[in-house]
Amino acid sequence: MARSRRSRRTLTVVILVVLSLSLISLDLNGRTHSLTSGIKSVANDVYAPLRRGVLDIISPIGNFFAGAFNYGSLQAQNEQLQKTIGELQASRTERSFEQRQLHALMKLQNLPFLQSLPTVTAQTIDQYSSNFTATITLDKGRADGVDVGYPVVGAGGLVGTVIQSFHHTCVVQLVTDGKSKVGVTFGRTNQYTAIVDGQGPGSSMTADLVPPRTPVHKGEVMFTSGLQAASYPPGIPVASVRSFHTGSGASQETIEVDPRANLSELAYVDVVQWAPPPP
Amino acid sequence: MTGRSIVRLIFVIFVVLMAQQTIMVALRVGGAHPDLVWLLPITAALIAGPETGALVGFWAGLAFDLVLPTPFGLSALVGCLLGFTIGSLTTATDPEATWVKPVAALTGSVAADMLFAMLGAVFGQAQMVQIDFLALAFVVGVSSVILVFPVGRMMRWALEGESRRRSLVPATADGRRW
Repeated sequence: MARSRRSRRTLTVVILVVLSLSLISLDLNGRTHSLTSGIKSVANDVYAPLRRGVLDIISPIGNFFAGAFNYGSLQAQNEQLQKTIGELQASRTERSFEQRQLHALMKLQNLPFLQSLPTVTAQTIDQYSSNFTATITLDKGRADGVDVGYPVVGAGGLVGTVIQSFHHTCVVQLVTDGKSKVGVTFGRTNQYTAIVDGQGPGSSMTADLVPPRTPVHKGEVMFTSGLQAASYPPGIPVASVRSFHTGSGASQETIEVDPRANLSELAYVDVVQWAPPPP
Repeated sequence: MTGRSIVRLIFVIFVVLMAQQTIMVALRVGGAHPDLVWLLPITAALIAGPETGALVGFWAGLAFDLVLPTPFGLSALVGCLLGFTIGSLTTATDPEATWVKPVAALTGSVAADMLFAMLGAVFGQAQMVQIDFLALAFVVGVSSVILVFPVGRMMRWALEGESRRRSLVPATADGRRW
């Protein structure tokens, strides 16, 4: 009796393990990925409004307490924001002429210019849903013209790339995610190239494949390179140099960089409707 | 499992999923947030044994997989292994003993997160091991010890009448409940 119960128990867990492994291989297999992606898409379409409803109920309570405890800092933050808005408005007016010129030049060279590309403004509805990936979820999906591979910008620079697109939502892999790799250029005339590697949530990013003793300086901004087969259009600020050194005998310079985009303030972002050119 | 238990279980999984994705993800300490999903197979295994623990772990994991950016089926795999292991290891203990729930929640949740990351890396998601495991273990461990009690209450309600554990000590020997 006890033996039959034990063997039934073992059989159950073996079936469940085989089933799980089959689902994982279906998801990771390029040809059958659309099946699991479709299931996820339907589930996300059902789940997103439910989650929003729950948030609508609990958010006012959280906001009330957050507002009560942080009133002083909120006031200071508001004043700082007003000042920044004023500065940005002034700088925008000054830059409009230069931008028009640059736009015309880029057009002549047949290069996509970020401000000439169509964008979809999206709201962040979920951040870091898993402890193991640096991702955010946006409230725009395929129905709004958002597709897998589109770059996402906002809060001062490149935020990441769309890795999953559902009907009305999409998942964006942040530049800090361990899987993120961005080709960048830097230097006075953008003569140097590197790969900015994400090192996982909470860890600083690195700029790799930079030859030893390449001149860089602290705070130097790196932009997407837009080289052939690049995943991003050129000219998007990606990261700024935090520290650099070349170890003795090292084959490359060690450069630590910080994301240009303020990834802790991602309430709204722009999805750039730009897909990498086919190889 | 009866039809009533299945309906209640679906409700409990939904409530825990919503709590995870709305409240828990906002409670980030050192880049990590509590992981409620593992508490479902742990509490189910403590109440109804390894088989139910594995089944609850599988279905709860699958529900979470639908909304997570990690490989589809990975949480289900870890959940069913966790439920089965916790159920098997605690068969000979009194599930009502004060120490069982927090100890199972602490060790089970931390071990499940480690296994989840390692299996993710095995399946080609190398970035899943590029995290601060110390912060993760601390946040998940402490939160699981606290949250195992409310989740356990919900699971006991869902599995009412399903308790078929074979324990050396009667489950209601001292009359304590979750």
